[in-house]
Amino acid sequence: MTKTILPRRQFLQGCSAAIAAMAGAKLTNIAFARQDNPSDTLVVVFLRGGWDALNVVAPIEGDDRGFYEKARPDIRIQNLLRLNDQFGMHPAMSPLYDLYQAGRVGVVHAVGLNVDTRSHFDAQEYIELGTPGSKNTASGWITRHLQASGISSILPVLSTSGMPTSLLNFVPTVSLSTPEEFSLWDNGLRDSHINALRQMYAGESLLHRAGARTLDALDIVSPLSGGYEPSNGAYYNNDEFGIQLKTVAQMIKLDAGLRVATVDFGGWDTHEYQNSGDGGYMADLLNSLASGLANFYLDLDSGYTDKLSVVVVSEFGRRLVQNESYGTDHGHGSVMFTLGGSVNGGQVFGNWPGLHNDQLYDRADLAVTTDYRQVLGELLSKRGNNADIESVFPGFSGSYNPLGIFR
Amino acid sequence: MYGRKLSRRDFLKLGGALAATSALAACAPGEENPITVPFETVTQNPVITPEALTSLPPVPMAILALNRLTFGIRPGDVDAFNALGSTDDERLQNFVVQQLNPDSIDDSDFETRYNNAGFETLHKSHEQIYYDHIASNPYDSNDDIYWEWYSKPAYELADATVLRAVFSKKQLVEVLADFWHNHFNIYFWQDDGVPLLASYNRDALRAHMLGNFRQMLEAVAKHPSMLYYLNQNNSSDSGPNENFARELFELHTLGAENYLGVRDPNSVEKDANGISIGYVDNDVYEAARCLTGWRVDDDLGDWEDGVEKTGNFLYYKPWHDRFNKLVLGRYFPADQEDLKDGHDVLDLLASHPGTARHIARKLCRRFISDIPPESVVQAAADTFLQFKDAPDQLKRVMETILLSAEFKASWGGKVKRPFEAAMSMMRALNSDFTRAPGGIHWMLELMGQRLFERRPPDGYPDTRDAWANSMSLLYRWNFAVGLTENWLDDDDTGYRVNSDTYGQTPAEIRTASSLADYWIPRILNQTLPEASRNAVVAVMAQEYGWDEPLPEDHVRYVLPAMIEVILMSPEFQWR
Repeated sequence: MTKTILPRRQFLQGCSAAIAAMAGAKLTNIAFARQDNPSDTLVVVFLRGGWDALNVVAPIEGDDRGFYEKARPDIRIQNLLRLNDQFGMHPAMSPLYDLYQAGRVGVVHAVGLNVDTRSHFDAQEYIELGTPGSKNTASGWITRHLQASGISSILPVLSTSGMPTSLLNFVPTVSLSTPEEFSLWDNGLRDSHINALRQMYAGESLLHRAGARTLDALDIVSPLSGGYEPSNGAYYNNDEFGIQLKTVAQMIKLDAGLRVATVDFGGWDTHEYQNSGDGGYMADLLNSLASGLANFYLDLDSGYTDKLSVVVVSEFGRRLVQNESYGTDHGHGSVMFTLGGSVNGGQVFGNWPGLHNDQLYDRADLAVTTDYRQVLGELLSKRGNNADIESVFPGFSGSYNPLGIFR
Repeated sequence: MYGRKLSRRDFLKLGGALAATSALAACAPGEENPITVPFETVTQNPVITPEALTSLPPVPMAILALNRLTFGIRPGDVDAFNALGSTDDERLQNFVVQQLNPDSIDDSDFETRYNNAGFETLHKSHEQIYYDHIASNPYDSNDDIYWEWYSKPAYELADATVLRAVFSKKQLVEVLADFWHNHFNIYFWQDDGVPLLASYNRDALRAHMLGNFRQMLEAVAKHPSMLYYLNQNNSSDSGPNENFARELFELHTLGAENYLGVRDPNSVEKDANGISIGYVDNDVYEAARCLTGWRVDDDLGDWEDGVEKTGNFLYYKPWHDRFNKLVLGRYFPADQEDLKDGHDVLDLLASHPGTARHIARKLCRRFISDIPPESVVQAAADTFLQFKDAPDQLKRVMETILLSAEFKASWGGKVKRPFEAAMSMMRALNSDFTRAPGGIHWMLELMGQRLFERRPPDGYPDTRDAWANSMSLLYRWNFAVGLTENWLDDDDTGYRVNSDTYGQTPAEIRTASSLADYWIPRILNQTLPEASRNAVVAVMAQEYGWDEPLPEDHVRYVLPAMIEVILMSPEFQWR
């Protein structure tokens, strides 16, 4: 679609000085003082669809390698990147390997939900609501984190893909894809429109508050629309994930006090033809993920990584045994990644339950030995300046036992 | 699986339409009602009052009914509604009956438009679509035109859906088609069967949505679009693929509200007929076994015995698991006659009280409120069960819902989603177009609700909190601007939308306040709060006095900006 040149612009040019002055009075530059952010910017990457954790981080030796190969004769990964004596990472994730070795990337295996479900939608909701087993919760875990820790900044939270459940009931959320796209189209009377919208959206309903927040966000974001040059030669792929990370990096560099950003990355529900040797469909996804995160880190390694903590989570892992369509069906235990300047990386955390039939969940899937809330709880208490685990994950604080993933 | 996109890259080469943003698989909306949690109980739930449904002053019945049963109020609609009777109840009754009997509606103006739109593929039968666009696509798959031809029926369906939503008088049919496509969701760009979306929407959904649910369920389960989308096409006795079976339970029938998790099926409580009151994982696996051998007759490579390439549903006996099964407590003996295992599963599900409540709740959520009262949900579920074998079962369910006291008292319960907002703006302005230009679809994508492009099988969410985000709202506002300024067009095809707001304004109305007071009720069919009304007047007046006659040039150029503000108002977003 094209935007036609506006006749009204010409009309306005010939108009009274009053209108012209008003049309030019748009705020073009808002300088934010670097806000004293007591917390890291927490970036939560959600991989929708349930990623095949056993092909992301697979056993490389011993009995478990045998069980793995036997269960997956056609889809096993061969040339893994060695993480330690026990595990290797999918070769398509090589862009993250240097950061792993440098201690900036940590891995938690056999992690997930301690409730019995193989439903995408249940599992995603349990994780994002922060109340496994209950979907009757009126707010997301990130919502409660921000409410417990107080919000004072201009741009406390950003979602680059709609409104995830983790932010349920948090109206200050700003969602935007890119700063360039986030603008109110100008028919020549845009400031007049904004004034009217301010009036009309000055109410209390969810809709009114969302409108007011959108107008605030326009003020913050419109100065950024002139393009963005990542630091250190970082390069973002022009795919769903790369575009989102680039936007988050831009918002972090605004120094507007961004506390949490959520990023969604879909397409992991690999029921068929998930790979071809070490390449194929899932390898492309993993490469997109790893390359995106590595470049994001590189870009922010310009004074921002000390206050950056990223977690990567999916709703579950997949069945140990491949299916007849050269894919895998819904499973249980998963793997999580962490990335940041304060990650105790270069290690695989968690208690490995093993892949023998008797060690599997429901005799089918990787078991869960680490509750996903251990990882998120540690993220909040060590990097999010929020020790109130109980208010974020009700009923969990008694079992909270940090693994030491974050400093 | 809804994630694979081996060929989407090729489609992307087709240009414009999809290039702009990411189509992401976002998370599913929740069922608001409490579920029984069999295992882990949460010791303490954070009690944060959910966004209370806004209590708005009641509106005239015409406004409520037209907002809910149509894609927005056109000029003249309110008068036509009010002419249907002498009391509100009588008018509503007559309107509902009329809309539920679409064959009685004279839709000739729309039919003329439809014929003028130049659709080339939508008249084709399913088999013809398969033959022309898949099996015998005449073009070279290295050329863009191959993919253009391949996806043409699906693109035409999307354009026809917009055309119907804006111009057809059979509005409830259109609202229901949107509901059912999302209920039995299929993603536009799923592999293998993109052009079949057109026959799916017509033959599996539209043909049954005022009919019988059991029949619709079978039409959906056997349609090649669904067989491909949820991998049923690859499910065999040696390797059942449980993707379709799981969503059949979780989304299409019983719903997650009746999912009891991973547990021993013997431990599940049974109803009076010995049927489990909810489902567990084992039921999904067993149902998947029942459905093995349900596939598409699609042997394009000519290498399978007993398989042709008609593109029709095929029961492929060599793949069917012949042994005994147990589904929802019902024993299925081995070696039942062909197809009976699968049909029995559909029978069990379609007649289950859990399914009745799940479907009733979703329909009530669509037509009454994000959080519908349990009383009307139960009434609709009762109708669903009582008429489970009737050929007009779903029509009766709709009557129960739309004529209920709960429906009549529900203003404030719904906010328009992006598709409804966009369609209603075009209806309010009497916008004119021959075919939907790419700009409409592209804007819907930026709002997060491009037609048929919800990737996961759960369909677009139907509650306000899913859509109250800044990007979506901003592009709703931008749609108002683009529509009123006539910017929505398409370079490649030359299609465009024309909204002649100046021509629709009586010549004698020429002050800022009178223009605002003409257009506010014209679009909203109600008044605005004083401050908002004044904001609209201020946009129109600019540097002129509010009651002073405006120069004609000023009216011509500023009027669209004023109308845009009315379309952007919170009041226009209620449904």
